[in-house]
Amino acid sequence: MEFGIRDDDQMIVDSLTAFAGEQLRPNLRAAEAARAPSPEVRASFAELGFEALDVPEAANGVGLGILTRVLANRTLGQADAGAALALDRLGPAVYVLDAFGGAEAVARFAGPILENPETRVALVVEDEDRGLSEGGRITGTVPWAPVDRADLVVGLGPASAWTMQGGAKAEPVKSIGLHAAGASRLTLDGVAAATWTDQAAAELALAKTRLYYASLLVGVLYDSTEFSRAYAMERVAFGQPVAHHQGMAFMIVDMFNAVEQVRLLVEDAARRIEAGQDGRQHAAAAFIEAVDASRYVGPNGVQILGGHGFMRDFPMEKAMREARALGLLAGGVERARDDAAALADTLGDAF
Amino acid sequence: MELQISPQLKKLVEDAREWGETEARPAGLEADRAGSPLPVDHPYFQKFIDRGRSRGERLAAAEPAPEGRVAQMVVLGEEDAYWDRGMGVASPGAGFPSGMVNAAGTPEQKERFLGPFAHHTTPHWASFALTEPGGGSDTAAFRTHARKTDKGYVLNGAKCFIGNAARADWVLVQTTLDPTKGRAAQRAFFVERSTPGFTGVKIEKKMGLRSYESVSFILEDCEVPADHLLGGERPEPKSGAAGSGAYGATMGALNATRVGVAASALGVARAAYDEARRFAKESGAIKSSRIRDKLELMLRKIRGARLMTLQAAWMADNRRSNILESSMAKIVTAEVAQETAALGMEIVGLEAGAGDNLVEKLFRDAKALNIVEGTGQIQRVIMGRNLVGLPR
Repeated sequence: MEFGIRDDDQMIVDSLTAFAGEQLRPNLRAAEAARAPSPEVRASFAELGFEALDVPEAANGVGLGILTRVLANRTLGQADAGAALALDRLGPAVYVLDAFGGAEAVARFAGPILENPETRVALVVEDEDRGLSEGGRITGTVPWAPVDRADLVVGLGPASAWTMQGGAKAEPVKSIGLHAAGASRLTLDGVAAATWTDQAAAELALAKTRLYYASLLVGVLYDSTEFSRAYAMERVAFGQPVAHHQGMAFMIVDMFNAVEQVRLLVEDAARRIEAGQDGRQHAAAAFIEAVDASRYVGPNGVQILGGHGFMRDFPMEKAMREARALGLLAGGVERARDDAAALADTLGDAF
Repeated sequence: MELQISPQLKKLVEDAREWGETEARPAGLEADRAGSPLPVDHPYFQKFIDRGRSRGERLAAAEPAPEGRVAQMVVLGEEDAYWDRGMGVASPGAGFPSGMVNAAGTPEQKERFLGPFAHHTTPHWASFALTEPGGGSDTAAFRTHARKTDKGYVLNGAKCFIGNAARADWVLVQTTLDPTKGRAAQRAFFVERSTPGFTGVKIEKKMGLRSYESVSFILEDCEVPADHLLGGERPEPKSGAAGSGAYGATMGALNATRVGVAASALGVARAAYDEARRFAKESGAIKSSRIRDKLELMLRKIRGARLMTLQAAWMADNRRSNILESSMAKIVTAEVAQETAALGMEIVGLEAGAGDNLVEKLFRDAKALNIVEGTGQIQRVIMGRNLVGLPR
């Protein structure tokens, strides 16, 4: 039994913590206004060598597993989840390519994206399989995707996947949050460059995708908790720090407990998947818990700051919006509830 | 993060499962239906002794597991409580006070009061008395008074909700030499059950956890020899000192057992989940997406609570401060147990309302876990002190 963090992961977390503190957090509002991290921030991130963190080594990537990814996402998400999405230009689409087509597919489709720093990938999680063949027509609209462009679109259905290079028009939308990632309505009109059918691959890719977004949520929720806690210890009301009023202290405790529970569920699910175990139910459950916790923690981060929380001078309103936005991704929480409930009975002993 | 449990610990869990299924759960149900603890001469207790079922004996007889002591306690505690939490508390042995005696007792006291438990061939119990009618969670505010005399000490006061006190050979009683001096004046005394002045013994009727005694008693000019003072005579620590003496031993014991209670809550929650799932499958209710959603919620909450509890245990085993994590685990697991049992009642429906289904008993049992050894609110105060410096 071991709850500690691996040495290699700790080094990555330390590097990303320093980067996030120096580059992301101070530029939070600037990146939001520009709808992208600055070129300097992007260049600085690229220098760290973590752009291809999830890309298999056989496809010239770093080849690290989902447990490392969730630790990295938590660290970046705590500083600026929108920027974290923008900096990881492949995003969770890499899990789809890898699960269905292995390193060859990752090299074929993700390789060109990594070579051109201006390009982005959009992942579209769909409720139904399209039944496509290679060269088949792909049309449709995605109301919101946290990207400013979509040079490659990867589609993930319940038992299939497809890719489309070009053929996606990205039209800016206002969006609830994650502005630093960009925000677009995607109009799809192109042909499938590759198609696959494999339910097990689809379920694995979706499980990893859920953990990808859930771990960003963990970061945002930690920020809500820690920032509001620090504020409550400084702000004085009725002659004492507001945190020393028991109603406030208990709220902070409950926020802390909620986030810690999500963190443990996310890391446990990631650990299972990385060990080659069946982590589908655990990943779906972790995503649900993250989303459910976000509805408690996000608004209370604002609540603790009172009127200041509602104003853009403080980051709590941003955290509340972004937590809500992240929970809409990865196919949404209702689908996760369906999957988690359907898979629950396959687990047997709760140990 | 690596959470696989070792084959050695798995074997201990399987052994606990076998005992729980065949002995502890039937005994717990028998006590629950009777509305009172099983009598001391019930065959269950003799079988418990004959089979070496105390946790210490089980661990000593098993191949050593690589997990730490606290992690083993949590895993086994969950399994024991899964079958019947109350029967765990009702188990013969020195139980809860043994930790305090080992931590703060003199060598002579360890030999005299704990020694016999290693050799008993018939069931015997010991007990620890902290709570008073006017004070539950505020351990520093107790009023049971100890007055020094030429022969030793005279104790006066009242205690309530004390586990196994009516059947115990001795009760370790928390007192104060001077209520105005707070924790520094606290002392604990071994009071043998036959001591004159140990009186007014009343076994409470309870909503749940009926299989062990919760006892109220009065100490009325109860004389005890000086060598019955836990730790013996020692200089009085400075006012407010909390790390030593009776108060320190008490708080140390409560800190250590907080994750133990969390483990118990996990067991109760898991039992409620399993019973609700079994019923839903057999009745066909599981076809309803609403029922499946409820079961998923129960499973998810149990899993999160278990991770918290195991993390707190792992930290204790690795000598990391876990004050925050153990309180967190206690808060979350107790609430999960209560909620899981309540949702289980909804799934089982009128069958549960009729009172014969296991989940109905678990619903009544679970509530106590958010009260004992520091209520959920007290745990939040502890966390608040650590997180935001909540004033004392």
